[in-house]
Amino acid sequence: MMRGFGISIRPRTVFMAFQSLRSFLEALGKNGQLVTLHDIVYPEPDVRTYLKAAADLDNDSPAIVFDNIMGYKGFRIAGNVHGSWVNHAILLGMDRNANIRQQFFQVDRLWQDLSSGELKWVDNAPCQEIVVEKNINLYELMPLFRINQNDGGYYFSKACVISRDSEDPENLDKENVGIYRVMVQGPDTLGMQPLPYHDFARHLRRCEEKNESFPVAICIGNPPWLTTMAATPLPYGQSEYIAAAAIMGEPIELTKAIGSNLNIPAHCEYVIEGEVIPRQRFCEGPFGEFPGSYSGARNQIRIKVNRVTHRRDPIYETLFIGKPWTEHDTLIGLWTSVPLYKQLKAEFPEVKCVNAMYQHGLTIIVASDMRLGGFGKTLAFRVASTPHGMSYAKNIIIVDGDVDPFNLEKVMWALSTRIRAEKDVVVIPNTPGVPLDPCTDPPGVGSKLIIDATTPVAPDRMREITMIADPPGSAKAAERLREILKEVRPQF
Amino acid sequence: MICVRCLRDTARKVAEAPDRSGVWEVYYCKRCNYSWRSTEEEQITVLEKRDPEFQLDQEDLESLSSPNPIPPLEKK
Repeated sequence: MMRGFGISIRPRTVFMAFQSLRSFLEALGKNGQLVTLHDIVYPEPDVRTYLKAAADLDNDSPAIVFDNIMGYKGFRIAGNVHGSWVNHAILLGMDRNANIRQQFFQVDRLWQDLSSGELKWVDNAPCQEIVVEKNINLYELMPLFRINQNDGGYYFSKACVISRDSEDPENLDKENVGIYRVMVQGPDTLGMQPLPYHDFARHLRRCEEKNESFPVAICIGNPPWLTTMAATPLPYGQSEYIAAAAIMGEPIELTKAIGSNLNIPAHCEYVIEGEVIPRQRFCEGPFGEFPGSYSGARNQIRIKVNRVTHRRDPIYETLFIGKPWTEHDTLIGLWTSVPLYKQLKAEFPEVKCVNAMYQHGLTIIVASDMRLGGFGKTLAFRVASTPHGMSYAKNIIIVDGDVDPFNLEKVMWALSTRIRAEKDVVVIPNTPGVPLDPCTDPPGVGSKLIIDATTPVAPDRMREITMIADPPGSAKAAERLREILKEVRPQF
Repeated sequence: MICVRCLRDTARKVAEAPDRSGVWEVYYCKRCNYSWRSTEEEQITVLEKRDPEFQLDQEDLESLSSPNPIPPLEKK
Protein backbone atom coordinates (compact mmCIF):
# COMPACT_ATOMS: atom_id res chain seq x y z
CA MET A 1 0.00 0.00 0.00
CA MET A 2 1.17 3.49 -0.70
CA ARG A 3 -0.69 4.98 2.23
CA GLY A 4 1.32 7.68 3.88
CA PHE A 5 3.45 8.27 0.81
CA GLY A 6 3.51 12.01 0.40
CA ILE A 7 4.20 13.72 -2.86
CA SER A 8 7.05 15.62 -1.27
CA ILE A 9 9.07 12.39 -1.11
CA ARG A 10 11.51 11.95 -4.00
CA PRO A 11 9.50 10.70 -6.95
CA ARG A 12 11.67 7.66 -7.64
CA THR A 13 10.62 6.08 -4.31
CA VAL A 14 7.80 4.12 -5.92
CA PHE A 15 8.46 5.13 -9.48
CA MET A 16 8.69 2.22 -11.92
CA ALA A 17 10.12 2.17 -15.42
CA PHE A 18 7.51 -0.27 -16.83
CA GLN A 19 9.31 -1.84 -19.78
CA SER A 20 6.05 -3.35 -21.01
CA LEU A 21 2.32 -2.76 -21.16
CA ARG A 22 1.95 -5.98 -19.12
CA SER A 23 4.02 -4.73 -16.19
CA PHE A 24 1.94 -1.54 -16.09
CA LEU A 25 -1.31 -3.52 -16.22
CA GLU A 26 -0.02 -5.57 -13.32
CA ALA A 27 0.69 -2.41 -11.31
CA LEU A 28 -2.77 -1.08 -12.14
CA GLY A 29 -4.24 -4.39 -10.99
CA LYS A 30 -2.43 -4.22 -7.67
CA ASN A 31 -3.87 -0.76 -7.17
CA GLY A 32 -7.43 -1.77 -7.96
CA GLN A 33 -7.28 0.01 -11.33
CA LEU A 34 -7.86 -2.90 -13.69
CA VAL A 35 -11.14 -4.55 -14.65
CA THR A 36 -11.10 -7.73 -16.72
CA LEU A 37 -14.44 -8.04 -18.45
CA HIS A 38 -15.33 -11.69 -18.89
CA ASP A 39 -18.80 -10.89 -20.25
CA ILE A 40 -19.33 -11.78 -23.89
CA VAL A 41 -18.94 -8.67 -26.05
CA TYR A 42 -19.31 -8.12 -29.77
CA PRO A 43 -16.52 -6.10 -31.41
CA GLU A 44 -19.22 -3.57 -32.35
CA PRO A 45 -20.77 -1.78 -30.65
CA ASP A 46 -19.90 -3.35 -27.28
CA VAL A 47 -16.18 -2.60 -27.07
CA ARG A 48 -16.66 1.10 -27.81
CA THR A 49 -19.66 1.24 -25.49
CA TYR A 50 -17.66 -0.09 -22.55
CA LEU A 51 -14.65 2.10 -23.32
CA LYS A 52 -16.82 5.21 -23.52
CA ALA A 53 -18.48 4.21 -20.25
CA ALA A 54 -15.06 3.80 -18.65
CA ALA A 55 -14.04 7.22 -19.93
CA ASP A 56 -17.11 8.73 -18.29
CA LEU A 57 -16.46 7.17 -14.89
CA ASP A 58 -14.88 9.27 -12.16
CA ASN A 59 -11.23 10.15 -11.71
CA ASP A 60 -10.48 6.57 -10.70
CA SER A 61 -11.72 4.98 -13.92
CA PRO A 62 -9.83 1.67 -14.41
CA ALA A 63 -8.09 0.10 -17.37
CA ILE A 64 -10.37 -2.45 -19.06
CA VAL A 65 -9.27 -5.78 -20.50
CA PHE A 66 -11.80 -7.63 -22.67
CA ASP A 67 -11.14 -11.36 -22.83
CA ASN A 68 -14.37 -12.74 -24.26
CA ILE A 69 -14.84 -11.10 -27.65
CA MET A 70 -17.29 -12.72 -30.04
CA GLY A 71 -15.39 -14.24 -32.95
CA TYR A 72 -12.05 -13.39 -31.34
CA LYS A 73 -11.94 -16.12 -28.70
CA GLY A 74 -8.45 -16.27 -27.20
CA PHE A 75 -7.73 -12.61 -28.04
CA ARG A 76 -7.64 -9.72 -25.59
CA ILE A 77 -8.24 -5.99 -25.96
CA ALA A 78 -6.91 -3.50 -23.39
CA GLY A 79 -8.30 0.03 -23.21
CA ASN A 80 -8.40 3.04 -20.94
CA VAL A 81 -4.89 2.18 -19.74
CA HIS A 82 -3.89 5.87 -19.48
CA GLY A 83 -7.55 6.75 -19.02
CA SER A 84 -7.81 8.28 -15.56
CA TRP A 85 -5.88 10.54 -13.23
CA VAL A 86 -5.43 7.67 -10.79
CA ASN A 87 -3.86 5.52 -13.52
CA HIS A 88 -1.70 8.49 -14.47
CA ALA A 89 -0.65 9.00 -10.84
CA ILE A 90 0.41 5.34 -10.66
CA LEU A 91 2.46 5.77 -13.84
CA LEU A 92 4.08 8.84 -12.28
CA GLY A 93 4.91 6.91 -9.11
CA MET A 94 2.60 9.04 -6.99
CA ASP A 95 -0.08 8.46 -4.41
CA ARG A 96 -3.27 7.46 -6.23
CA ASN A 97 -5.01 10.53 -4.82
CA ALA A 98 -2.49 13.01 -6.23
CA ASN A 99 -4.48 15.82 -7.81
CA ILE A 100 -3.88 17.12 -11.32
CA ARG A 101 -1.81 20.08 -10.19
CA GLN A 102 0.44 17.80 -8.14
CA GLN A 103 0.76 15.52 -11.16
CA PHE A 104 1.66 18.52 -13.31
CA PHE A 105 4.61 19.35 -11.07
CA GLN A 106 5.64 15.69 -10.94
CA VAL A 107 5.77 15.68 -14.75
CA ASP A 108 7.82 18.87 -14.57
CA ARG A 109 10.25 17.23 -12.13
CA LEU A 110 10.58 14.07 -14.23
CA TRP A 111 11.06 16.10 -17.43
CA GLN A 112 14.66 17.12 -16.99
CA ASP A 113 17.38 16.33 -19.51
CA LEU A 114 15.39 14.32 -22.04
CA SER A 115 18.50 13.66 -24.14
CA SER A 116 20.14 11.76 -21.27
CA GLY A 117 18.18 8.52 -21.68
CA GLU A 118 19.94 5.34 -22.69
CA LEU A 119 18.95 2.59 -25.08
CA LYS A 120 19.55 -1.12 -24.64
CA TRP A 121 19.20 -3.63 -27.43
CA VAL A 122 18.07 -7.14 -26.54
CA ASP A 123 18.01 -10.37 -28.56
CA ASN A 124 15.08 -12.76 -28.79
CA ALA A 125 12.68 -9.96 -28.02
CA PRO A 126 9.20 -10.96 -26.85
CA CYS A 127 7.60 -8.85 -29.60
CA GLN A 128 9.05 -11.25 -32.18
CA GLU A 129 8.04 -14.54 -30.57
CA ILE A 130 5.61 -15.17 -33.42
CA VAL A 131 6.43 -14.11 -36.99
CA VAL A 132 3.78 -13.98 -39.72
CA GLU A 133 5.05 -13.34 -43.25
CA LYS A 134 2.60 -15.22 -45.44
CA ASN A 135 -1.14 -14.76 -45.90
CA ILE A 136 -1.15 -11.73 -43.66
CA ASN A 137 -4.69 -10.86 -42.63
CA LEU A 138 -4.85 -8.07 -40.06
CA TYR A 139 -8.60 -8.61 -39.52
CA GLU A 140 -7.83 -12.09 -38.25
CA LEU A 141 -4.49 -11.45 -36.53
CA MET A 142 -5.80 -8.88 -34.07
CA PRO A 143 -9.16 -8.05 -32.52
CA LEU A 144 -10.05 -5.05 -34.62
CA PHE A 145 -13.20 -3.05 -33.92
CA ARG A 146 -14.79 0.19 -35.10
CA ILE A 147 -14.06 2.91 -32.54
CA ASN A 148 -16.85 5.35 -33.43
CA GLN A 149 -19.87 4.26 -35.39
CA ASN A 150 -19.23 6.35 -38.50
CA ASP A 151 -15.51 5.71 -38.77
CA GLY A 152 -14.55 4.54 -42.25
CA GLY A 153 -13.08 1.32 -40.90
CA TYR A 154 -11.07 -0.24 -38.11
CA TYR A 155 -8.35 1.97 -36.72
CA PHE A 156 -5.25 1.61 -34.59
CA SER A 157 -5.70 4.55 -32.22
CA LYS A 158 -2.77 3.96 -29.89
CA ALA A 159 -0.04 2.61 -32.16
CA CYS A 160 3.49 3.97 -32.14
CA VAL A 161 4.65 4.53 -35.72
CA ILE A 162 8.42 4.38 -36.13
CA SER A 163 10.32 5.83 -39.07
CA ARG A 164 13.75 7.24 -39.87
CA ASP A 165 15.08 10.26 -41.68
CA SER A 166 16.35 8.95 -45.04
CA GLU A 167 18.86 11.81 -45.27
CA ASP A 168 20.36 10.91 -41.91
CA PRO A 169 19.37 7.26 -41.47
CA GLU A 170 21.84 6.38 -38.71
CA ASN A 171 20.87 9.33 -36.52
CA LEU A 172 18.96 7.90 -33.57
CA ASP A 173 17.81 11.35 -32.50
CA LYS A 174 15.85 11.70 -35.73
CA GLU A 175 14.21 8.29 -35.50
CA ASN A 176 10.62 9.23 -34.89
CA VAL A 177 8.09 7.48 -32.69
CA GLY A 178 4.68 9.09 -33.11
CA ILE A 179 1.05 8.20 -32.59
CA TYR A 180 -0.97 8.68 -35.75
CA ARG A 181 -4.35 7.37 -36.71
CA VAL A 182 -3.85 4.22 -38.77
CA MET A 183 -6.70 2.65 -40.73
CA VAL A 184 -6.80 -0.97 -41.82
CA GLN A 185 -7.55 -0.96 -45.54
CA GLY A 186 -7.69 -4.58 -46.56
CA PRO A 187 -5.90 -7.62 -45.13
CA ASP A 188 -2.35 -6.32 -45.55
CA THR A 189 -2.72 -2.63 -46.29
CA LEU A 190 -2.95 0.44 -44.06
CA GLY A 191 -3.82 4.09 -44.49
CA MET A 192 -2.39 6.73 -42.20
CA GLN A 193 -2.80 10.42 -41.46
CA PRO A 194 0.38 12.35 -40.78
CA LEU A 195 -0.28 16.09 -40.75
CA PRO A 196 2.26 18.41 -42.35
CA TYR A 197 3.58 19.61 -38.99
CA HIS A 198 4.20 16.08 -37.74
CA ASP A 199 7.74 14.70 -37.75
CA PHE A 200 6.63 11.76 -39.89
CA ALA A 201 5.65 14.19 -42.64
CA ARG A 202 9.29 15.28 -42.94
CA HIS A 203 10.38 11.68 -43.48
CA LEU A 204 7.59 11.24 -45.99
CA ARG A 205 8.42 14.34 -47.97
CA ARG A 206 12.10 13.48 -48.33
CA CYS A 207 11.30 10.05 -49.74
CA GLU A 208 8.46 11.20 -51.96
CA GLU A 209 10.67 13.87 -53.54
CA LYS A 210 12.93 10.98 -54.61
CA ASN A 211 10.05 8.62 -55.36
CA GLU A 212 11.38 6.12 -52.83
CA SER A 213 9.47 3.92 -50.46
CA PHE A 214 10.63 3.79 -46.85
CA PRO A 215 10.17 1.33 -43.99
CA VAL A 216 7.86 1.87 -41.06
CA ALA A 217 7.11 -0.21 -38.00
CA ILE A 218 3.73 0.14 -36.34
CA CYS A 219 3.85 -1.08 -32.76
CA ILE A 220 0.79 -1.82 -30.65
CA GLY A 221 0.69 -2.47 -26.91
CA ASN A 222 3.72 -0.43 -25.97
CA PRO A 223 5.53 0.39 -22.72
CA PRO A 224 3.41 3.16 -21.15
CA TRP A 225 6.21 5.70 -21.04
CA LEU A 226 6.90 5.25 -24.73
CA THR A 227 3.24 5.82 -25.53
CA THR A 228 3.34 8.95 -23.38
CA MET A 229 6.41 10.37 -25.09
CA ALA A 230 5.11 9.46 -28.55
CA ALA A 231 2.05 11.58 -27.72
CA THR A 232 4.13 14.50 -26.43
CA PRO A 233 5.15 17.37 -28.70
CA LEU A 234 8.95 17.02 -28.78
CA PRO A 235 11.41 18.82 -31.06
CA TYR A 236 12.28 17.05 -34.32
CA GLY A 237 15.79 16.10 -33.20
CA GLN A 238 14.64 14.65 -29.87
CA SER A 239 14.23 10.88 -29.88
CA GLU A 240 11.10 9.66 -28.14
CA TYR A 241 12.97 6.49 -27.18
CA ILE A 242 15.74 8.48 -25.49
CA ALA A 243 13.20 10.80 -23.87
CA ALA A 244 11.18 7.86 -22.53
CA ALA A 245 14.37 6.28 -21.15
CA ALA A 246 15.34 9.59 -19.52
CA ILE A 247 12.01 9.68 -17.74
CA MET A 248 12.12 5.98 -16.91
CA GLY A 249 15.53 6.39 -15.30
CA GLU A 250 16.79 3.19 -16.90
CA PRO A 251 17.59 2.16 -20.49
CA ILE A 252 14.53 1.36 -22.58
CA GLU A 253 14.79 -2.10 -24.11
CA LEU A 254 14.66 -2.18 -27.89
CA THR A 255 15.28 -4.64 -30.65
CA LYS A 256 15.69 -4.37 -34.41
CA ALA A 257 12.83 -4.90 -36.79
CA ILE A 258 13.38 -8.01 -38.91
CA GLY A 259 13.18 -6.30 -42.29
CA SER A 260 14.74 -2.87 -41.65
CA ASN A 261 17.09 -0.94 -39.40
CA LEU A 262 14.18 0.47 -37.38
CA ASN A 263 14.32 0.13 -33.61
CA ILE A 264 11.20 -1.23 -31.98
CA PRO A 265 10.26 -1.64 -28.31
CA ALA A 266 11.34 -5.17 -27.36
CA HIS A 267 8.35 -5.76 -25.11
CA CYS A 268 5.52 -4.42 -27.23
CA GLU A 269 2.66 -6.73 -28.11
CA TYR A 270 2.36 -6.46 -31.90
CA VAL A 271 4.70 -5.09 -34.59
CA ILE A 272 3.52 -4.47 -38.12
CA GLU A 273 6.44 -4.03 -40.46
CA GLY A 274 5.73 -2.37 -43.75
CA GLU A 275 6.70 0.27 -46.23
CA VAL A 276 5.14 3.52 -47.34
CA ILE A 277 4.14 3.52 -50.97
CA PRO A 278 5.50 6.83 -52.32
CA ARG A 279 3.54 9.41 -54.30
CA GLN A 280 0.13 7.80 -54.01
CA ARG A 281 -2.89 8.76 -51.96
CA PHE A 282 -6.00 6.77 -51.12
CA CYS A 283 -9.31 7.47 -49.46
CA GLU A 284 -9.02 7.37 -45.66
CA GLY A 285 -11.57 8.21 -43.00
CA PRO A 286 -13.81 9.51 -41.65
CA PHE A 287 -12.53 9.13 -38.12
CA GLY A 288 -14.00 10.37 -34.84
CA GLU A 289 -11.39 12.77 -33.56
CA PHE A 290 -10.43 14.42 -30.28
CA PRO A 291 -12.59 17.56 -30.68
CA GLY A 292 -15.59 15.23 -30.48
CA SER A 293 -16.39 15.46 -34.19
CA TYR A 294 -15.66 13.34 -37.23
CA SER A 295 -12.92 14.43 -39.55
CA GLY A 296 -14.02 13.67 -43.06
CA ALA A 297 -12.67 11.27 -45.64
CA ARG A 298 -9.39 12.45 -47.15
CA ASN A 299 -6.65 11.28 -49.46
CA GLN A 300 -3.87 9.87 -47.34
CA ILE A 301 -0.76 7.75 -47.62
CA ARG A 302 -0.75 3.97 -47.89
CA ILE A 303 1.45 1.41 -46.18
CA LYS A 304 1.98 -2.09 -47.55
CA VAL A 305 2.40 -4.63 -44.75
CA ASN A 306 5.25 -7.12 -45.20
CA ARG A 307 5.32 -8.83 -41.84
CA VAL A 308 3.52 -9.01 -38.51
CA THR A 309 5.29 -10.16 -35.37
CA HIS A 310 3.75 -10.48 -31.95
CA ARG A 311 4.09 -11.87 -28.48
CA ARG A 312 2.51 -15.18 -27.60
CA ASP A 313 -0.98 -14.46 -26.33
CA PRO A 314 -0.76 -10.79 -27.38
CA ILE A 315 -2.81 -7.96 -25.91
CA TYR A 316 -4.26 -5.55 -28.45
CA GLU A 317 -4.16 -2.10 -26.87
CA THR A 318 -6.55 0.56 -28.06
CA LEU A 319 -7.60 4.03 -27.00
CA PHE A 320 -11.12 5.34 -27.16
CA ILE A 321 -11.11 8.76 -28.79
CA GLY A 322 -14.24 10.73 -29.54
CA LYS A 323 -16.61 12.90 -27.59
CA PRO A 324 -14.48 14.25 -24.73
CA TRP A 325 -13.42 13.52 -22.04
CA THR A 326 -11.59 10.40 -23.25
CA GLU A 327 -8.36 8.54 -22.62
CA HIS A 328 -6.82 10.67 -25.33
CA ASP A 329 -7.28 13.78 -23.17
CA THR A 330 -5.79 12.20 -20.04
CA LEU A 331 -2.91 10.66 -21.97
CA ILE A 332 -1.67 13.92 -23.45
CA GLY A 333 -3.09 16.60 -21.11
CA LEU A 334 -0.17 17.20 -18.79
CA TRP A 335 2.38 16.26 -21.43
CA THR A 336 1.05 19.10 -23.56
CA SER A 337 0.96 21.47 -20.56
CA VAL A 338 4.47 20.95 -19.21
CA PRO A 339 6.47 21.69 -22.40
CA LEU A 340 4.48 24.91 -22.82
CA TYR A 341 5.20 25.77 -19.18
CA LYS A 342 8.91 25.20 -19.71
CA GLN A 343 8.96 27.25 -22.91
CA LEU A 344 7.17 30.16 -21.25
CA LYS A 345 9.15 30.00 -18.04
CA ALA A 346 12.48 30.05 -19.93
CA GLU A 347 11.86 33.67 -20.82
CA PHE A 348 9.25 34.68 -18.27
CA PRO A 349 10.13 33.25 -14.84
CA GLU A 350 6.96 34.81 -13.43
CA VAL A 351 4.93 31.93 -14.96
CA LYS A 352 3.68 29.59 -12.24
CA CYS A 353 1.66 26.89 -13.99
CA VAL A 354 0.05 26.04 -17.36
CA ASN A 355 -3.10 24.03 -18.03
CA ALA A 356 -3.27 23.01 -21.70
CA MET A 357 -5.42 19.92 -21.14
CA TYR A 358 -8.44 20.87 -23.17
CA GLN A 359 -8.50 19.18 -26.56
CA HIS A 360 -4.74 19.08 -26.89
CA GLY A 361 -4.39 22.75 -25.98
CA LEU A 362 -7.17 24.39 -28.01
CA THR A 363 -7.84 26.17 -24.73
CA ILE A 364 -4.87 27.06 -22.54
CA ILE A 365 -4.85 28.67 -19.11
CA VAL A 366 -1.61 30.27 -17.91
CA ALA A 367 -1.11 31.32 -14.28
CA SER A 368 1.57 33.94 -13.81
CA ASP A 369 2.65 36.84 -11.66
CA MET A 370 2.57 40.12 -13.54
CA ARG A 371 5.79 41.98 -14.26
CA LEU A 372 4.13 45.15 -15.49
CA GLY A 373 0.86 46.42 -16.87
CA GLY A 374 -0.19 44.54 -20.00
CA PHE A 375 2.09 41.61 -19.24
CA GLY A 376 -0.81 39.16 -19.51
CA LYS A 377 -1.01 39.86 -23.22
CA THR A 378 2.75 39.43 -23.59
CA LEU A 379 2.36 35.93 -22.20
CA ALA A 380 -0.54 35.22 -24.52
CA PHE A 381 1.55 36.25 -27.54
CA ARG A 382 4.28 33.89 -26.37
CA VAL A 383 1.80 31.03 -26.02
CA ALA A 384 0.60 31.72 -29.57
CA SER A 385 4.18 31.65 -30.90
CA THR A 386 5.30 28.37 -29.33
CA PRO A 387 5.58 25.48 -31.80
CA HIS A 388 2.49 23.81 -30.37
CA GLY A 389 0.53 26.93 -29.52
CA MET A 390 1.00 28.39 -32.99
CA SER A 391 -1.79 26.22 -34.34
CA TYR A 392 -3.43 24.70 -31.27
CA ALA A 393 -3.73 27.63 -28.83
CA LYS A 394 -7.09 29.03 -29.86
CA ASN A 395 -8.43 30.31 -26.55
CA ILE A 396 -5.67 31.73 -24.34
CA ILE A 397 -6.61 32.67 -20.80
CA ILE A 398 -4.14 34.36 -18.47
CA VAL A 399 -4.80 34.38 -14.72
CA ASP A 400 -2.82 35.62 -11.75
CA GLY A 401 -0.03 33.48 -10.35
CA ASP A 402 -2.00 32.62 -7.22
CA VAL A 403 -4.83 31.08 -9.25
CA ASP A 404 -4.53 27.34 -9.81
CA PRO A 405 -5.23 26.91 -13.54
CA PHE A 406 -6.36 23.33 -12.91
CA ASN A 407 -9.03 24.53 -10.49
CA LEU A 408 -11.73 25.77 -12.83
CA GLU A 409 -13.71 27.30 -9.95
CA LYS A 410 -10.75 29.57 -9.27
CA VAL A 411 -10.32 30.28 -12.96
CA MET A 412 -13.97 31.25 -13.26
CA TRP A 413 -13.55 33.50 -10.21
CA ALA A 414 -10.69 35.22 -12.00
CA LEU A 415 -12.76 35.61 -15.17
CA SER A 416 -15.74 36.87 -13.19
CA THR A 417 -13.91 39.51 -11.22
CA ARG A 418 -10.98 40.61 -13.40
CA ILE A 419 -12.06 40.94 -16.98
CA ARG A 420 -12.60 44.44 -18.29
CA ALA A 421 -13.89 43.25 -21.64
CA GLU A 422 -13.01 46.44 -23.52
CA LYS A 423 -9.36 46.13 -22.49
CA ASP A 424 -8.77 42.52 -21.67
CA VAL A 425 -10.45 40.54 -24.46
CA VAL A 426 -8.86 40.47 -27.89
CA VAL A 427 -9.53 38.41 -31.01
CA ILE A 428 -6.79 38.02 -33.59
CA PRO A 429 -8.35 36.78 -36.82
CA ASN A 430 -6.90 34.62 -39.57
CA THR A 431 -4.24 32.73 -37.66
CA PRO A 432 -3.03 29.16 -37.98
CA GLY A 433 -5.50 26.69 -36.51
CA VAL A 434 -5.92 22.94 -36.26
CA PRO A 435 -7.70 21.38 -39.24
CA LEU A 436 -9.46 18.90 -36.92
CA ASP A 437 -11.00 21.78 -34.96
CA PRO A 438 -14.47 22.06 -36.51
CA CYS A 439 -14.36 25.87 -36.04
CA THR A 440 -11.48 26.40 -38.44
CA ASP A 441 -12.69 27.41 -41.88
CA PRO A 442 -11.03 26.75 -44.21
CA PRO A 443 -9.70 23.83 -42.19
CA GLY A 444 -6.49 24.93 -40.53
CA VAL A 445 -7.24 28.67 -40.46
CA GLY A 446 -8.77 30.07 -37.33
CA SER A 447 -8.38 32.87 -34.83
CA LYS A 448 -6.91 33.50 -31.41
CA LEU A 449 -8.98 34.62 -28.45
CA ILE A 450 -6.96 36.22 -25.67
CA ILE A 451 -8.54 36.78 -22.28
CA ASP A 452 -6.38 38.59 -19.76
CA ALA A 453 -8.05 37.83 -16.43
CA THR A 454 -5.21 39.13 -14.27
CA THR A 455 -5.25 41.90 -11.71
CA PRO A 456 -3.94 45.10 -13.34
CA VAL A 457 -0.50 46.21 -12.12
CA ALA A 458 1.31 49.52 -12.71
CA PRO A 459 1.31 51.40 -14.94
CA ASP A 460 -2.10 49.87 -15.61
CA ARG A 461 -4.51 50.29 -12.72
CA MET A 462 -7.83 49.17 -11.35
CA ARG A 463 -10.26 50.76 -8.93
CA GLU A 464 -9.14 51.13 -5.33
CA ILE A 465 -9.99 47.62 -4.23
CA THR A 466 -8.18 45.51 -1.68
CA MET A 467 -8.25 41.80 -2.42
CA ILE A 468 -8.70 39.39 0.47
CA ALA A 469 -5.50 37.52 1.24
CA ASP A 470 -5.41 33.86 2.28
CA PRO A 471 -4.53 33.34 5.96
CA PRO A 472 -0.72 32.94 5.97
CA GLY A 473 -0.76 29.41 7.37
CA SER A 474 -3.54 28.00 5.20
CA ALA A 475 -1.32 25.83 3.00
CA LYS A 476 0.25 24.18 6.03
CA ALA A 477 -3.14 23.75 7.65
CA ALA A 478 -4.44 22.01 4.52
CA GLU A 479 -1.50 19.62 4.64
CA ARG A 480 -2.29 18.82 8.27
CA LEU A 481 -5.94 18.19 7.42
CA ARG A 482 -4.91 15.81 4.64
CA GLU A 483 -2.75 13.86 7.10
CA ILE A 484 -5.65 13.51 9.49
CA LEU A 485 -7.98 12.49 6.66
CA LYS A 486 -5.66 9.62 5.81
CA GLU A 487 -6.14 8.34 9.36
CA VAL A 488 -9.91 8.90 9.17
CA ARG A 489 -10.16 7.16 5.79
CA PRO A 490 -7.50 4.43 5.86
CA GLN A 491 -9.28 2.41 3.20
CA PHE A 492 -8.77 5.13 0.61
CA MET B 1 -20.35 -7.57 -53.79
CA ILE B 2 -21.80 -4.10 -53.45
CA CYS B 3 -20.04 -1.74 -51.04
CA VAL B 4 -22.52 -0.31 -48.52
CA ARG B 5 -20.75 3.05 -48.63
CA CYS B 6 -19.84 3.79 -52.26
CA LEU B 7 -22.42 1.42 -53.80
CA ARG B 8 -20.06 -0.02 -56.41
CA ASP B 9 -19.42 -3.69 -56.99
CA THR B 10 -15.94 -3.40 -55.57
CA ALA B 11 -16.26 -5.06 -52.16
CA ARG B 12 -15.40 -8.60 -51.11
CA LYS B 13 -15.23 -10.77 -48.07
CA VAL B 14 -11.79 -10.47 -46.51
CA ALA B 15 -12.06 -12.24 -43.18
CA GLU B 16 -13.98 -14.65 -41.02
CA ALA B 17 -13.95 -14.88 -37.24
CA PRO B 18 -10.47 -16.27 -36.50
CA ASP B 19 -11.78 -18.56 -33.75
CA ARG B 20 -13.66 -20.44 -36.50
CA SER B 21 -16.95 -19.82 -34.74
CA GLY B 22 -18.41 -18.45 -37.94
CA VAL B 23 -20.15 -15.66 -36.02
CA TRP B 24 -19.13 -12.92 -38.41
CA GLU B 25 -17.45 -11.99 -41.67
CA VAL B 26 -15.64 -8.79 -42.59
CA TYR B 27 -16.01 -7.10 -45.97
CA TYR B 28 -13.72 -4.55 -47.58
CA CYS B 29 -14.18 -2.22 -50.54
CA LYS B 30 -11.02 -1.62 -52.54
CA ARG B 31 -12.50 1.49 -54.13
CA CYS B 32 -13.42 3.57 -51.08
CA ASN B 33 -11.50 1.49 -48.48
CA TYR B 34 -14.52 0.94 -46.29
CA SER B 35 -14.55 -2.12 -44.00
CA TRP B 36 -17.55 -3.52 -42.18
CA ARG B 37 -18.51 -6.60 -40.22
CA SER B 38 -21.67 -8.60 -40.71
CA THR B 39 -22.59 -8.27 -37.02
CA GLU B 40 -22.40 -4.46 -36.83
CA GLU B 41 -25.45 -2.29 -36.23
CA GLU B 42 -27.99 -1.90 -39.00
CA GLN B 43 -26.89 1.72 -39.41
CA ILE B 44 -23.67 0.23 -40.80
CA THR B 45 -24.74 -2.95 -42.58
CA VAL B 46 -28.15 -2.05 -44.04
CA LEU B 47 -28.00 0.40 -46.89
CA GLU B 48 -31.38 1.99 -46.23
CA LYS B 49 -30.48 2.70 -42.62
CA ARG B 50 -27.10 4.25 -43.24
CA ASP B 51 -26.57 7.96 -42.59
CA PRO B 52 -26.37 9.64 -46.04
CA GLU B 53 -23.80 12.07 -44.66
CA PHE B 54 -21.31 9.23 -44.46
CA GLN B 55 -21.91 7.75 -47.94
CA LEU B 56 -19.30 8.45 -50.61
CA ASP B 57 -20.22 8.88 -54.24
CA GLN B 58 -18.00 9.39 -57.27
CA GLU B 59 -17.92 13.15 -56.82
CA ASP B 60 -16.99 12.83 -53.16
CA LEU B 61 -14.16 10.46 -53.98
CA GLU B 62 -12.82 12.74 -56.69
CA SER B 63 -12.87 15.81 -54.50
CA LEU B 64 -11.13 14.49 -51.39
CA SER B 65 -8.67 16.91 -49.89
CA SER B 66 -5.11 15.81 -49.26
CA PRO B 67 -3.60 17.10 -46.02
CA ASN B 68 -0.19 15.95 -47.19
CA PRO B 69 0.04 16.87 -50.88
CA ILE B 70 2.51 14.90 -53.02
CA PRO B 71 5.62 17.10 -53.35
CA PRO B 72 7.31 17.83 -56.69
CA LEU B 73 9.88 15.26 -57.76
CA GLU B 74 13.45 16.25 -57.02
CA LYS B 75 15.38 17.18 -60.15
CA LYS B 76 18.37 14.94 -60.69
